[in-house]
Amino acid sequence: MTNRYRSVFDIIGPIMIGPSSSHTAGAVAIGHVANRLFHAPIKTVRVRYFESFAQTHRGHGTDYAVIAGVLGFDPADRRVPNAVDLARRQGIEIAFIEDQHASPIGHPNTAAITLANSEKYLTVWGCSVGGGAIEIRKIDFNGLIFEPQGSLPLIYVEAEQEIGQALDQIFGANYRLPRVTLMRGRHHIYQLDLLDKPFPEQLEQARRISQDLISL
Amino acid sequence: MYETIADLLAAATAQQKPISELIIEQEIKLSHSSREIIWATMGKNLEVMHEAAIKGASGAGVTSATGISGGEAVLLKKYREKGQSLSGDTMLLAMQNAVATNEVNAAMGIICATPTAGSAGTLPGVLSVVTERLHLQRDDQIRFLFCASAFGMIVANQAMIAGATGGCQAEVGSASAMGAAAAVELAGGTPEQAAQAFAMAMSNLLGLVCDPVAGLVEVPCIKRNVVGAVNALTAADMALAGLTSQIPADEVILAMKRIGQNLPASLRETGLGGLAATPTGIALKMKIFGQDVSIHPDDENNDSARES
Repeated sequence: MTNRYRSVFDIIGPIMIGPSSSHTAGAVAIGHVANRLFHAPIKTVRVRYFESFAQTHRGHGTDYAVIAGVLGFDPADRRVPNAVDLARRQGIEIAFIEDQHASPIGHPNTAAITLANSEKYLTVWGCSVGGGAIEIRKIDFNGLIFEPQGSLPLIYVEAEQEIGQALDQIFGANYRLPRVTLMRGRHHIYQLDLLDKPFPEQLEQARRISQDLISL
Repeated sequence: MYETIADLLAAATAQQKPISELIIEQEIKLSHSSREIIWATMGKNLEVMHEAAIKGASGAGVTSATGISGGEAVLLKKYREKGQSLSGDTMLLAMQNAVATNEVNAAMGIICATPTAGSAGTLPGVLSVVTERLHLQRDDQIRFLFCASAFGMIVANQAMIAGATGGCQAEVGSASAMGAAAAVELAGGTPEQAAQAFAMAMSNLLGLVCDPVAGLVEVPCIKRNVVGAVNALTAADMALAGLTSQIPADEVILAMKRIGQNLPASLRETGLGGLAATPTGIALKMKIFGQDVSIHPDDENNDSARES
């Protein structure tokens, strides 16, 4: 058993705009992960749906939900249903693709979201496992590819130096899996797969080493 | 973490605490948060549930963008006011609140997912009745939600709560079982009776498929929440009367999981089978989207990209 659901608020909650927790609120959450990991101006968004997401994204409002997340909205934000228009008005190009193949990450509610600008791209493969909870099973940071097991919490840290051991000292007692480090030139990306939510003090400490820390 | 209902019952007996209290203590430990913050957050969820139930049954009610659902919670309310219903005012109250909540959900209003948006009406339906019958105060209602969440978390981790993986039995079935267990705790039943109510409520909805017309969370989802709410209340009453399930709650959860895994994809939130595949279901889909938008996996066409 993976214990993907670790909080009462995964079960009672989220507070959200309808109509579907997995296809709307969960889709907002996956979009939000992409937004946070990309953290740069977005020129294009490409959303590729698989299986149940491909069949029912229209009826469930998945399109506006993913884009709401990409724009950084909360699932209960009144602007959620208008997110696609809002994004296009900001000059963002958006495409939705229904892929008829099986999900490459093995879940019927799968979306692969690619954000790009002239300098870089990021693709997040996420699945909405029910009740608004999500898993992230693959991330392509401009060619550097991580394949986490999926369950959150996950932390990604980018830095221009080797800080792996420092991160181990801060978070090591909470590792569910060993740290993964990928690099291109001097640019390092660290993946930390945690058992429990990190304490705020730990995040503060790590941000003193690199501001570029995203805690999912 | 409590991984099974047997674990929960053992802890409740050993510590002489209600299940709602055990799960609050677990939440404090796992979330690195305080009791006050956790209590206030659940209170906010309760508020959203009340607001949705009221909104859906006020004035002319709400209508979804597609027009295939809405306005029926108001019909139930008016019928209730005549006082001549067959199932009595208590059941009508549960029905009204369940329908109202899911109509608000379908109309893109604000709801609290319990455990999902498609099954968001079930718990409010049960809670409204328990509140009226037992004269519950706000704190008791919050406790009801904590108790329900304890059972829901075990289902979510041991099996599933998404229609796409387990069918409607995983959504409305889970919500109904959670509501039944919480109703028993608030009515003064033992943790064992709460687990019995849970087992009976879930058993009675095993096999329920997810077949939304046009892939929308409207038909039949809204009215399935009526069954979820009413089933929860009857299961709670059965348990309080001393009836038992024979099959333990943990085994019922695993049966639900296996049934979910064996359901064909057409009956797991794809909108391709069941009521969605009836002539009227297909006609509604064509009317809403102006074309048949289903993707048939055996097609050899390329991916369809649409600027929708």
